[in-house]
Amino acid sequence: MNRRQFLSATTAAALSPASLALAQGSAQGAGGRTLTVGVRSGPESIDPHWSTLGGHIEALRHVYDSLVAQDENLVLRPGLATSWRAVDDTTWEFKLREGVTFHDGSPFTAEDVKFSLERIPQVTGPMSMTLYTKRAKSAEVVDPLTVRFVTDGPAPTLPNDFTRLMIVPRKIGAAPRNEEFNSGAAAIGTGPFRFTRWEPRGDLVMERFDGWWALKDGATQPWARVIRREIPNDAARIAALKSGQVDMINYVPATDVASLQRDPTMEVVVGDSVYVFNVYFTLAEKLPRLAKVDGREIEANPFRDPRVRQAMDLAIDRRALARVVFEGLAKPMSQLMPDSFFGASPNLPERRPDLARARALMAEAGYPRGFEIDFHSTSNRLPGDSALCEALAQQWSRIGVKANPNAVTGTVFFPASTRGDYSLQMSGWGTLTGEAAYTYGAMIHGPDPSVGLGNFNRSGYSNPEVNKLLLDGSRTLDDAKRREMFARAAEISMNDRPMLPIVMPQTVWAMGRNKLSFTPRVDQETLAQLVTPKGA
Amino acid sequence: MTAFLLGRLAQAALVMLVMSVLVFLGVYAIGNPIDVLIDPAATQAMRAAIIRQYGLDLPLWQQYGHFLGNVLRGDFGNSFVFRIPVLPLILSRLPATLELTVLALLIAAAFGIPLGIWAGYRPEARSSRAIMALSTLGFSVPTFWIGLLLILFFTVELRWLPSGGRGPVGWLGLSIWTREGWTHLLLPALNLSLFKLGLLIRLVRAGTEEVMGSEHVRFARAQGLPERQVVGLHVLKNIGIPIVTIFGLEFGSTLAFAVVTETVFNWPGMGKLVIESITSLDRPVMVAYLILVVLLFVAINLFVELTYGLLDPRVRAR
Amino acid sequence: MNREALVEGWQEYRRSPVAVAALALVVAIALLALLAPWIAPQDPYDQSALDLMDARLEPGSIGSGEYVHWLGTDNAGRDLLSAILYGLRLSLAIAVTAGIVALTVGTAIGLSAAYYGGWFGAVAMRVVDLQLSLPAILLALVLVAVLGQGVPQLMAALVAAQYAYFARTAFGAASAERRKDYVEAALSTPLSGARVLWRHLLPNTLPPLIVVVTVQIATAISLEATLSFLGLGLPVTRPSLGLLIANGFQFMLSGRYWISVYPGIALMVTVLAINLVGDQLRQVINPRRRR
Repeated sequence: MNRRQFLSATTAAALSPASLALAQGSAQGAGGRTLTVGVRSGPESIDPHWSTLGGHIEALRHVYDSLVAQDENLVLRPGLATSWRAVDDTTWEFKLREGVTFHDGSPFTAEDVKFSLERIPQVTGPMSMTLYTKRAKSAEVVDPLTVRFVTDGPAPTLPNDFTRLMIVPRKIGAAPRNEEFNSGAAAIGTGPFRFTRWEPRGDLVMERFDGWWALKDGATQPWARVIRREIPNDAARIAALKSGQVDMINYVPATDVASLQRDPTMEVVVGDSVYVFNVYFTLAEKLPRLAKVDGREIEANPFRDPRVRQAMDLAIDRRALARVVFEGLAKPMSQLMPDSFFGASPNLPERRPDLARARALMAEAGYPRGFEIDFHSTSNRLPGDSALCEALAQQWSRIGVKANPNAVTGTVFFPASTRGDYSLQMSGWGTLTGEAAYTYGAMIHGPDPSVGLGNFNRSGYSNPEVNKLLLDGSRTLDDAKRREMFARAAEISMNDRPMLPIVMPQTVWAMGRNKLSFTPRVDQETLAQLVTPKGA
Repeated sequence: MTAFLLGRLAQAALVMLVMSVLVFLGVYAIGNPIDVLIDPAATQAMRAAIIRQYGLDLPLWQQYGHFLGNVLRGDFGNSFVFRIPVLPLILSRLPATLELTVLALLIAAAFGIPLGIWAGYRPEARSSRAIMALSTLGFSVPTFWIGLLLILFFTVELRWLPSGGRGPVGWLGLSIWTREGWTHLLLPALNLSLFKLGLLIRLVRAGTEEVMGSEHVRFARAQGLPERQVVGLHVLKNIGIPIVTIFGLEFGSTLAFAVVTETVFNWPGMGKLVIESITSLDRPVMVAYLILVVLLFVAINLFVELTYGLLDPRVRAR
Repeated sequence: MNREALVEGWQEYRRSPVAVAALALVVAIALLALLAPWIAPQDPYDQSALDLMDARLEPGSIGSGEYVHWLGTDNAGRDLLSAILYGLRLSLAIAVTAGIVALTVGTAIGLSAAYYGGWFGAVAMRVVDLQLSLPAILLALVLVAVLGQGVPQLMAALVAAQYAYFARTAFGAASAERRKDYVEAALSTPLSGARVLWRHLLPNTLPPLIVVVTVQIATAISLEATLSFLGLGLPVTRPSLGLLIANGFQFMLSGRYWISVYPGIALMVTVLAINLVGDQLRQVINPRRRR
């Protein structure tokens, strides 16, 4: 055969690209629209009590409701409970909403609330839900629409905690494990969408539930079908949006915001968040991972010296980090939560870098040549986490502290961190209940299981004065006094520097221009029920 | 003949056993496997209970015994991350990886065989040299980089094809039944095929060259047979079996290599699952994947050997 | 192998201008990598030499160090030209070291199997054969998953993935040689077996081994890059080419193509050049190609 025959044969075999036109991402289902969202991470099962990971909760808020709801600024709103009051120091009474039905038609009653609460300790996984429910020692059904919770001591923030108490029907019984939820058999909730199907790391498909209680109150829910597609790779997620495979995406990395804003077919929504990136020093006498000076491991823990902590704080240029790592979409922080939150202190000024002083302090503390230490962070929880980890290591190297950056996935990081495996670490913490007791109680109060505080105190910090302020504050029902106590505790602890707040990143979503309308939430959640098509 | 068969089967079983020991030791004996499982706030009592439940307080050899017993019954335990049974989790991803691998090999064959024959038929021609250079390029460029470039070009610039994910799934768990399925399949399959394409071109070329210089061909030409018949009949016939054999063996290797393509294109197959299980320390999934893939290799090897044994008595005598 | 054979080999090699160009390229790359600490404007592995303010600068811009970043900078402020040079250095060092170790181990196994034959030889080759059928990437994944990340673990993975090729090649060549009359004759003399091995078997297995080592180095570079891309390779502060490419990809869509494309080109050119050299070497030593 000759060249021509050969060529003609092969060309015929080539596929014509024109015949493979891209299928549209949004299908018009029968009698309604479909919303396809590209998300950075998805649920780990369809059991809402399995995990507290942000991506998990966010996904399941479509299928289940929590007892108490929050608006986009985390202000408490009635959810499945319409009102609540403290009956006495250790009892809260919640009145439940009437006329709510589950997806299978059965009515929602107080029995379901009691069942949900009691089920949690049995079924929750390594990212334990008991974080939000441990204060409630027991639940008592007063009548079908009233529940009483007995708490271990005064718990003024119980309603805030219950913004993550998701309600499942009692009739599913004690048996269902993750498989039954994932297959749909036990995945029955009261939320705006009915669970249709899901596979681990696959698409979560849900369909409109016409009997959703909020519809009776006048809320609208325009989507017949919602598909949440898990695309952990940031670039791939943006590519999916640009090619029309998804209608909107969450967690747009700061580096892509400018180019998306310039794109005439795209629209970008930027919102503040409650997440703050914090660096934690381990203050124990012996570090889990030893520090090295001049290449040799040392017994001492350099972080126990407040001068070292201050030096490392002064080496950080927060404005540069916000500008370079987050391209301006972050705010330098000097405390653990936004200024406007309940319990934040107005007396903590912005922290500015001072390399000369930092170096002097290091020398004074006995580390003129610095030291080497392992530095861990998450790699897939919030955009910019691993980049920030590297950038901090770089800034510390100027004062001689050689931090070895190690960004690992959340599944590895969080349990390891809580176990105390890390000497120097960084992660994002969101004050999801909107007030100080949640954050300071968990992270600043000395670890004390007897009062249930300090569960997330990664440094081991325990200042008796601060502890007293926090404990008293968490038991004071007088708002003004409580606010003052927390503010004072914030001031003392932030100046002690067991941990360093760095920046508060903004959250960015992207969608096709003029297609969707959406109010950003400070807890970064992307809820289909709050997205509406433009011109609908 | 039976002795040969039994001998080979016994060897295969031995290999699987050794592999299972290595995999078990490697994955379970190093580090602390349960850390990812337990709520760190759990009390000592709860921790002890879980350790007992998973049998982690038993001596290592006993743990291995339980492990082996379970595996033979098809029970690979539960995923640490999702807390659902591992074997169904992995098998549910198998159709995705299979269809990707098969399509990639078909593409490699569809282009590789004709190109290789041409290059072997006229080895000095400029086009042949170009083909050979192309084949070297095919396995020189890292698969993941080509994948990234493909996405950049076809998805972002041209908007012809989607950037990742899989199309709608139909019968047998495959996505080839719809046009949308094909648009999603094309780029990853192309990406995966490039490496094998390069190898195949070389293989076919070498085989063709050898045949072209052989007695058969010279005799056929002397007989005055038309070129097409010479090439078609003799070349194809003689390179046929070795090509098919190599293809069979390459199938397993392509399946394993799909790990990279699946990661780049977000293709929900076994490979992507195993990478995720490594980064999230989901040990049961890692173990199951390794054992299943090794089983696949051993099975393919065994099959090929048995076929040779049947066809060629000299092999059995070894 | 004597001097005459070498000269003849070189003549044969020179017949392909492409291969000669490739060889020149490989030598140039090796030199650049070797001399990197002296010719690179910046040490990209030294955290304190980096400045965050230099992040993502375009090719041709001038950074805080007052020199031109010919290839731009990456996300952490590393000069990309320096990062590529050091990355090449690291990749080549790892690949060559792993290659030499695999060569030694594999040849030892293959030669002994060929020399001693019998039961030992059969079992050894069976293991090697089985390992040959397992893809390198799978072995590497397993070892990294089990041993963790780091340079020694990576080397172990590469050696484990590659030694089988050397063993198989050495065995094949040595077996063919072993059967020759002169070897039989030598073995029947009082001269020690080791001498036969060393002076007769080994030199004749070297040519095919050289071809294999060339190709394996290219494969190792590619494999290491792939592992780094998957997040299982080297640590983040000493980026190899694979990691540079992986980190740079997220910026492609916002127009900062250079962070991923230039390291990718460097990787591709290096691997391609080495493979072309290996190709021509194979032509040279393959007796069937003698015209």
